[in-house]
Amino acid sequence: MAETSLKIAMMHSDALVSRAREGDKNAQGKLVQVWYKRIYNFSYKFFFDHDMAMEVAQKTFISMHKNMEGLQDVARFRSWLYTIAVNYCREELRKKKTRRSVSLHDLKPGESEESYRWEASSGRNENPEKQLRHTELSDLLQICLLELSDEQREVVIMKEYEGLKFREIAEALQISENTVKSRMYYGLDGLKRILERKNITKETIGYE
Amino acid sequence: MNKPDESTLIAYLYGELDAKETEKVVKYLNQNPDVEKKLQQLSDVQGILNHVEDQEVIAPPIFMDSNKHASRFWRSSYFKTVMSIAASFLVLLVAAKLIGPEIMYSNGELRISFKEQKQIEKPIEQATIPSITSVDVQDMINNSLIKNNEMIATEWANNNKKIQASLRNNLSSNSAKIDELMKVTSQASQDQVRSFVASMQEDNRKVMSDYMQLSAKDQKMYVENLLVDFSKYLQEQRKQDLVFFQSRMSSIEKNSSQFKQETEQILSSIISNPESAIKKVNNY
Repeated sequence: MAETSLKIAMMHSDALVSRAREGDKNAQGKLVQVWYKRIYNFSYKFFFDHDMAMEVAQKTFISMHKNMEGLQDVARFRSWLYTIAVNYCREELRKKKTRRSVSLHDLKPGESEESYRWEASSGRNENPEKQLRHTELSDLLQICLLELSDEQREVVIMKEYEGLKFREIAEALQISENTVKSRMYYGLDGLKRILERKNITKETIGYE
Repeated sequence: MNKPDESTLIAYLYGELDAKETEKVVKYLNQNPDVEKKLQQLSDVQGILNHVEDQEVIAPPIFMDSNKHASRFWRSSYFKTVMSIAASFLVLLVAAKLIGPEIMYSNGELRISFKEQKQIEKPIEQATIPSITSVDVQDMINNSLIKNNEMIATEWANNNKKIQASLRNNLSSNSAKIDELMKVTSQASQDQVRSFVASMQEDNRKVMSDYMQLSAKDQKMYVENLLVDFSKYLQEQRKQDLVFFQSRMSSIEKNSSQFKQETEQILSSIISNPESAIKKVNNY
């Protein structure tokens, strides 16, 4: 799913970006359509929270719209966009930390029936049992991701789910490529231990 | 080959190494199964992570086209507030037109009145005008002025008299006192002058005698010093004269001794060599 939308995005992006940079409103609108889902999902995985992800996605695209003329290299649009997104993610994280209070909803996401996640999963045309199991696994893995440090989580999500090259991640985070790679290594290593602790292995999830 | 670092391994795992490097890593992994196992575990983690699904989300329609911005402008709160202010002004204007208030500012007094106010004011003016004419008013004013003037004149005359009487009293009493005082002071002053003059004379005499004594002493001292200095000077002069005289004498002595020697030499040379001497003398 991610692969196909990425391919479409890549196909259109360069031409679209250069048109949008010249102030074409339509092109900017299309860019938003193409990239919104990616940015939303990036920040969703970062926070595992719909509201914060929406906040970050909207802020990112407003900022993109404002600063489009400042983008120098069209080819670097992807890392540029993720730079904005990562910065807003960090800002939200700071706000969340200073707020200190945590709602019940944040503690056990997806538990209540009114949850957006419940609505989101309802639309799939698969058999319900498999669907439920799948959603549960997805959420479980999300919680595992949250246990990583912020720095490792950024890199793992960008590499594993957003499919950025190490060079692009380094550009987006403004750190060296080697640092990115070592964060990725220790991120995966950490995840391995977390998954082992929760008894999630290739065998336990692939039995069906 | 050395153990490849984590960066290289992770790049290998994601296939971002060039062919040469990849070959090296593969070679190393074949020799070191434990590292290969570790990489396999990481790859498994990747596989598990792939089960996380993307959330479906619909991008909000932003930056569609300029028409949308226009429609937003009509709905904007700014426009609404401006319109509401304008509307309330309009209502005020219409109400003012219907009621017809009159606002006057004269003699430091602000009057806001409606149409009926004028009708009330007019009858009052009509009632007052026929009863008193301007001539009557003038007369009344003149009468009161005259009365006032008379009152003031009488009062002024009374006051004047009182003041003059009191002035006279004061003057007489004061002059008597002053005369007495003058007498006392003149008597006192004559005595004082006499005694003062006497004391002055005495003082003068004393000062003069003191001065004379002092000056006589000073003069004596001065003359003595002068004499001593003069004698010292004379002695010094004499000494110097003597020294001078001595030196002159010694120089004369020297000269005479020299002269003597020279003559002796000449004489001796004449004696020893009379011919040459005669020649020399002739040459001279």
